Amino acid sequence: MEAATPQLKKPSLLRAVVIGRRPKLTLVRIVLLVALIFLTRQFAILPIRSVGPSMLPTYQDNGVNFVNRLAYFTREPQRGDVVAIRTSGISIMYMKRVIGLPGETVEFKQGRVFINGVPLSEPYVKYSSDWTLAPVKVDPDKYFVVGDNRSMPSIYHYFGETERQRIIGRVMLCKNIFASSGLSR
Amino acid sequence: MQKYIRLVGAVALIGLGVWLWSVLFPSPEKAIRSLLHTLARNVSFSMQESVISRGFKVEKAAGFFTASAEISLDLRGVERFEFASREEISQALMAVANNTSAVKVEFLDINVSLDPDGQTAKANLTGKWTVPGDRDLNAQEFNFFLRKESGTWLIYRIETVKTLSQIAPHAA
Repeated sequence: MEAATPQLKKPSLLRAVVIGRRPKLTLVRIVLLVALIFLTRQFAILPIRSVGPSMLPTYQDNGVNFVNRLAYFTREPQRGDVVAIRTSGISIMYMKRVIGLPGETVEFKQGRVFINGVPLSEPYVKYSSDWTLAPVKVDPDKYFVVGDNRSMPSIYHYFGETERQRIIGRVMLCKNIFASSGLSR
Repeated sequence: MQKYIRLVGAVALIGLGVWLWSVLFPSPEKAIRSLLHTLARNVSFSMQESVISRGFKVEKAAGFFTASAEISLDLRGVERFEFASREEISQALMAVANNTSAVKVEFLDINVSLDPDGQTAKANLTGKWTVPGDRDLNAQEFNFFLRKESGTWLIYRIETVKTLSQIAPHAA
């Protein structure tokens, strides 16, 4: 006695393209992909869009970049690092450069930065500045951050000491991508 | 197959029950978040809104504050503002409503911490305001302090949080 082999119905091309030949496997893949994206964004790499002129010309307005949230897992922020500083959360953050480390004295004299009385070399500052600000001794658990664009009056530029726990990571790319060209103002 | 359908149905029912419970009996944190989002909507104005509509919204927004509420605003590049009563806050909001074509206010990343007595709370949040035609990102971190009066949460103080402690210009 012979048993008839069941005829497997071949899925249509449209269905094969949309959900694959094995829908359960496709569903598992989708779930895994969403979980991976969520975990990456939450703990590793955070995409950001930078708005405003304070980091010109290094980072153009309205550009895309990424924050490496694992950058300070094994080491602390260093001078020259461009970091992301959270507010009450990560929906809006400040992107600034670290120029003063904990315990150092930061001073601005006619646009030049002095760290513990020694002038700091800042090749990333392209626009001239006339800022003169009183010396600030950075607290032990804080970092002194400032933007690269010092051409605006200092009262319009948001900078200063920030707590270490607010620094959530280091900006990954040295230039924004998909940025608008030129100064925003 | 029927077993799976029943399982999914049971999970959906439990989820619906939990959601209904949270809507009918919200936790203090959820109630405060909801209050703050409503406040943000009531201090946002669109171009199409009439003066009367704006007035109603301002009145509703002022109702979220205690009679002796204090607000201390220290925004970058702007003169410092302080208000010491609900009346002053209402007048300030009315001035904004009358002199602004449109503004959209949002409160983001609201972190609510309840004091042990359960009668006072603090909400740390980021306020963002968008004006049509303005390409700048306007945002500032705030602390809102609330207390429960007659079963209703009211704001009694707002202070600006200096995410970056800016130093003042110094004469050369």
